[in-house]
Amino acid sequence: MVGLSAGEKHFIKGGIDQDLRSDGRKRLTYRPISIETGVIPQANGSARLRMGDTDVIATVKAEIGKPSHLHPNRGKVAIFVDCSAIASPVFEGRGGEELSTELSVALQRCLLGGKSGAGAGIDLLSLNVMEGKICWDLYIEGLVINADGNLLDALGAAIKAALSNTGIPKVNVAAEFSAEEQPEVDISDEDFLRFDTSSVPVIITLTKVGKHYIVDATSEEESHMSSAISVSINSRGQICGLTKRGGAGVDPSVVLDMISVAKHVSEHFIMKLDSEISAAEADEAGS
Amino acid sequence: MDHRISLKKETEYISPEGLRLDGRLPSEMRQISAEIGVVPNADGSAAFEMGNTKVIAAVYGPRKVQNWGQQINDQALVRCEYRMANFSTGDRVRRPKGDRRTTEISLVIRQTMEACIMTQQMPRTQIDIYVQVLQADGGTRSACINAATLALAAAGIPMRDLVTSCSAGYLNGTPLLDLNYVEDSAGGPDVTLGILPTLDRVTLLQADSKLTMDAFESVMQLATEGCMAVAGYIRRVLREHTKQLELRRGV
Repeated sequence: MVGLSAGEKHFIKGGIDQDLRSDGRKRLTYRPISIETGVIPQANGSARLRMGDTDVIATVKAEIGKPSHLHPNRGKVAIFVDCSAIASPVFEGRGGEELSTELSVALQRCLLGGKSGAGAGIDLLSLNVMEGKICWDLYIEGLVINADGNLLDALGAAIKAALSNTGIPKVNVAAEFSAEEQPEVDISDEDFLRFDTSSVPVIITLTKVGKHYIVDATSEEESHMSSAISVSINSRGQICGLTKRGGAGVDPSVVLDMISVAKHVSEHFIMKLDSEISAAEADEAGS
Repeated sequence: MDHRISLKKETEYISPEGLRLDGRLPSEMRQISAEIGVVPNADGSAAFEMGNTKVIAAVYGPRKVQNWGQQINDQALVRCEYRMANFSTGDRVRRPKGDRRTTEISLVIRQTMEACIMTQQMPRTQIDIYVQVLQADGGTRSACINAATLALAAAGIPMRDLVTSCSAGYLNGTPLLDLNYVEDSAGGPDVTLGILPTLDRVTLLQADSKLTMDAFESVMQLATEGCMAVAGYIRRVLREHTKQLELRRGV
């Protein structure tokens, strides 16, 4: 994707070995993050997140739906990611589909927990309106505006910001209805329920370049990647999901080491992200 | 009684005071704003907003032709892809890529832009124009063309003129400038016009629904005025952008 000469490659690799990357960062430092919330008025919640030159939008739309038979007291959440062609000509037509699917599935794995919905970062029980009859369906959509590496972490953080921006309307269910019929609902325009996003995990991707691993790789650095591990970690330090990407194999002991490093990095990252989100919310309320 | 029902059915798109549903005058455009350089990866990019409609255009090129068979020996190959974000409309619809509406708009934008790019100056190259709709509230075609013009200019691609576009319609016996989604779906005619303002040429003209000859003339006149206003704004934005670049160079 990125055309680099042998000299440039050597330079990037040498920098990582010496803990001084091409943009002046250390191996475990993130690029500056800026967040804007409420960017898409049609959605129930939205956020635009910039991490260096990587630029993504995440939106949350809530629709009234019917819970599945297996879990009558839970709502449903689906995550879709779209890589826009404006980010890179390789995403044109169906070109972005493979990456979009990879990202969507990785995000689902990291944020939504297992098939039963247990261990999900989003409390699915809070999406229940009436058991077995009505629930909220959340559609989370990510759009990549500009791709400069580390899309998964950026999308995960943007989704967290969008969720904390989301207001789910209060629903009043009609008192009388027969057992077979779908009850009538009245969706309030004024009262909104806010999400508790403190348990939504963040995703930390460690990219392995040579012997070392780095966080928040740019696309130039990603072109060097032999393998990468994405760990999703919540604020209590629990691991919520794992994805290994890239072709090369990793030593099992290195995996454990990478996870513990990711856990350490996540503490700073969550703090930074939370303060950025509250700053963005304050900004939106002020304007 | 029948009479009252029929009156009620016909929604009033213009109040007795002469104002539209969103409070504009019939000949008033929505607030427009533009920003250059929103996609750092691209050679040129711009975001363009018309009221609640918001689009981003990115231009890659002129660059080597990717598909060798498509290379043209005496001019540049211009390609365009239009895409709507799933969240851009009020109702969530997951539309497949390359449905008919998308293909048609891609084609319209490509033809409109091709008319103003000096393609002969860049033979055997390819210019890609990608437009992404973030919010759709009527007039996406016009917004896309305006964004594409800005992005092409920002990419430094030689053009004959800055093509600008604006739509106009006709409801309740009044010509209306720059229809929003509610007015657009009211069933009246929607005339989208694209012009080269300095060369005084029409490069895009689309209309649906029926319209009398006289009414069309006034609608077209209104749309032309809209295009001219957009052209003035785009010129200002580009000048401002160039000034910024000059400042950064330190001249």
